[in-house]
Amino acid sequence: MRARVLQANALSKRYGATVALSDVSLTITQGEVHAILGENGAGKSTLVKILSGVVRANSGGMSLAGEPYNPHSISKARAQGVATAFQELSLIPNLTVGENLLLPNASARTFWPESKSSILRRAAEVLREWQITDIAPDAIVEDLSLAERQRIEITRALSHASRLLILDEPTAALPDPGWLFQQIRRLTARGVAVMYISHRLGEVREICERATVLRNGKTIDTVDLSGVDDDGIFAMMVGRSPESAFAEPVVARPDADIIVDVRNLNVGKVRSLDLSLKAGEIVGLAALEGQGQQDLFRALGGAVKPSDGKIMVGGQAAALGSPRRALRAGSGIAFVPEERKTEGIFVNLTAASNIALPKIGRASHAGIVYAGLEKKVSAEAASKVALSPRYLGFNVGSLSGGNQQKVLLARALITGAKCLVLFDPARGVDVGTKQSIYAMMRDYVAGGRTILFYSSELSELVHLSSRCLVMYGGRIVADVPRAELTEERLLAAAHGHSQEMKVAV
Amino acid sequence: MQNEKTIASAVAEQEDNRATAKISGEFVTIAAIFGLTFAMILASRAISPSFGSWSQVETILYLSSFLVFCAFGQGLVILVRGLDLSIASVITLGGVLTASLMNGSNEGFLYLVPAILGACIVVGLISGIGVAYFRVPPFIMTMAVGLIVYSLCLGFTRGTPRGYPAPLLSGFMQDKFLGVPAPVYLLLAFVVFGTILQSYSVFGRKLNAVGNNPLAAYIAGLPSGVLIVSAYAMSALCAGFTGMMLAGYANGATLRMGDSYLLPSIAAVVVGGSSILGGQGNFVGTVGGALLLTALATILTALGIEQGWKTIMEGGVILFALIALREQSFAFLREVLGKRG
Repeated sequence: MRARVLQANALSKRYGATVALSDVSLTITQGEVHAILGENGAGKSTLVKILSGVVRANSGGMSLAGEPYNPHSISKARAQGVATAFQELSLIPNLTVGENLLLPNASARTFWPESKSSILRRAAEVLREWQITDIAPDAIVEDLSLAERQRIEITRALSHASRLLILDEPTAALPDPGWLFQQIRRLTARGVAVMYISHRLGEVREICERATVLRNGKTIDTVDLSGVDDDGIFAMMVGRSPESAFAEPVVARPDADIIVDVRNLNVGKVRSLDLSLKAGEIVGLAALEGQGQQDLFRALGGAVKPSDGKIMVGGQAAALGSPRRALRAGSGIAFVPEERKTEGIFVNLTAASNIALPKIGRASHAGIVYAGLEKKVSAEAASKVALSPRYLGFNVGSLSGGNQQKVLLARALITGAKCLVLFDPARGVDVGTKQSIYAMMRDYVAGGRTILFYSSELSELVHLSSRCLVMYGGRIVADVPRAELTEERLLAAAHGHSQEMKVAV
Repeated sequence: MQNEKTIASAVAEQEDNRATAKISGEFVTIAAIFGLTFAMILASRAISPSFGSWSQVETILYLSSFLVFCAFGQGLVILVRGLDLSIASVITLGGVLTASLMNGSNEGFLYLVPAILGACIVVGLISGIGVAYFRVPPFIMTMAVGLIVYSLCLGFTRGTPRGYPAPLLSGFMQDKFLGVPAPVYLLLAFVVFGTILQSYSVFGRKLNAVGNNPLAAYIAGLPSGVLIVSAYAMSALCAGFTGMMLAGYANGATLRMGDSYLLPSIAAVVVGGSSILGGQGNFVGTVGGALLLTALATILTALGIEQGWKTIMEGGVILFALIALREQSFAFLREVLGKRG
């Protein structure tokens, strides 16, 4: 039996009157990589916050290496050897990588600021220790890509973790977990324990030995991962047996109407791009980070103005100068951006108000909005994304990430647009929510409509797309038909392999 | 094998019984602010028996109505993440125009009222357009517009406002109906109207959305610019209306008549539970804040406390109200009062 590093007993946490965690217990031993599994809203984030000192539990106790552990702040937790890499990165955008790495002690001296070169020297050492060679210590954090920022966030936690390292969705923005796993193994070899939170079961199986499953704020069980199959884990997380995650793919009829037709589009990184979306198809888009997919999606959604090009929506030429115009252009385009918190939800409004907003006229009489009508108007869209009606009256801010995503998709549905443009719609949500989203997408195109979606998970693209486009360097370099869809094929094209160029549209 | 058993037991359906409170935090804050106001009036009775009488309550309601009018507009602007510093000048504008154009006669009263309010709305439109389309920070935009409007009033009146409001207006301000001053009824009607507009109307819902998350409102296809401009226009309309009522009350206008309403209008909104950062607010709370501030000022004045001490105590009460009346302070209450599933 290895020594226990962390022991948590019957932790409970309430926010106001909302219970986020009740009676959660777990034990993590020395040198172990311990997974925390659960759907969105199961209480994982709350658990992370308690362990890392962001919030304090209302009841229950913790011990760290045999001593009572009750951190009041992140720095107190760090002082006891517990460091966290947060999902919503905690880096300061306008400081350098080096300063961020050394925070909160960016200056080694008390009375006079440490010189810039000395800070950079210390930071370079940290980067070298954790095998990061491609990020300069004097780079400004906001100039880095999301993946690079995530690696810096993780590195900072690695360098401070002397007893326990907490990783909250560390691979959400990492295209390749290889580097991370290597560092985790080096850390555990020194006897440091790692708590690993991820939705990606494949990764969890690769790196973790045991997993604790949470559901509805309670511990369900701690299991040896080698003794349970994926279905078993799914069942513990969701509370029911899994349906087949991916049903039969949908393919458009060859003579289907073209709903959206894009010719010679130039916007941001996008270079003279052609694209057409037919009724009844789900078109996937694969790309490595920063190939112009954001620009393409934002242009179609009206959030940025194209510098050149022609867009036809439902047979009419459309100038998509704003999302409002995109919604009203021809048969309409509804855009769901990737940034749920900043561009999606209205946290102070109820789920029903969030969903009904585009059709608020239908929820009102003589300019007055009625909550009952609003619930009625939003209920249909909510049912399409399998959002439980009991959440309609709740403020969206109090819902889990998965349910917030459902609210956003329901709002896109309620607009009545015939084309959905979804940027990574199932990112960072749990398996149950994913299934609901996939079902909604299939159902939507079956009604003679069309979807363009980007995903950072290749398996999702392979299983869901009627055909899959691949972007590289601002252009579409491949249009892979259903029959030829494999992850390898997409990956090769996404890296710009030249043999793929011949199929470019 | 053992794992299979634990899975089976783990899978057994468990109800998600985490619940949210039945009583909303907003309601608690509003109840608290009204409670505090009421308690203060009662407590003043202990100091002197002449206080805390019905007639004193009437006076407080009457005097607070001016603050309530302009704080409503301020609240809408704060809701969309702005701030209206031109309120003082627009009140003066409304008052000065009322006195000089009506010039003591009822003639043309029905045309002059919309014309004066219309002039004020134009001021609000300018502020709103500057904020929404030229991206001038609200603080600077409204301050500049306020300075310009004030200077125009100064030039227009050559330093001394003349004239009187129409007798209809000043008569209304002194009228009593069923023994209660007529403006108190106007206040009640305004509170109902304002609450519906801010919290229950389509317009209010859209303002809430824009204030809560401007980017999301844009992506969702709301006309953010138009909504922001209309909030500033509403604020100027309310301020102009306040000026008109004040001129009727004082039977004339002064150039400094709006000054004592600018900061209290912001304080009333914030004490009433709205977020100064926008996106969250309720007019009933603002009314509570206005009543609290007015009651406090009235009582302190009646006690004959020196100006310095009076201001110190006002500042203290505002701070106390802000710190003590947050919804977290009442979390226990909400739990006792039950949950909804």
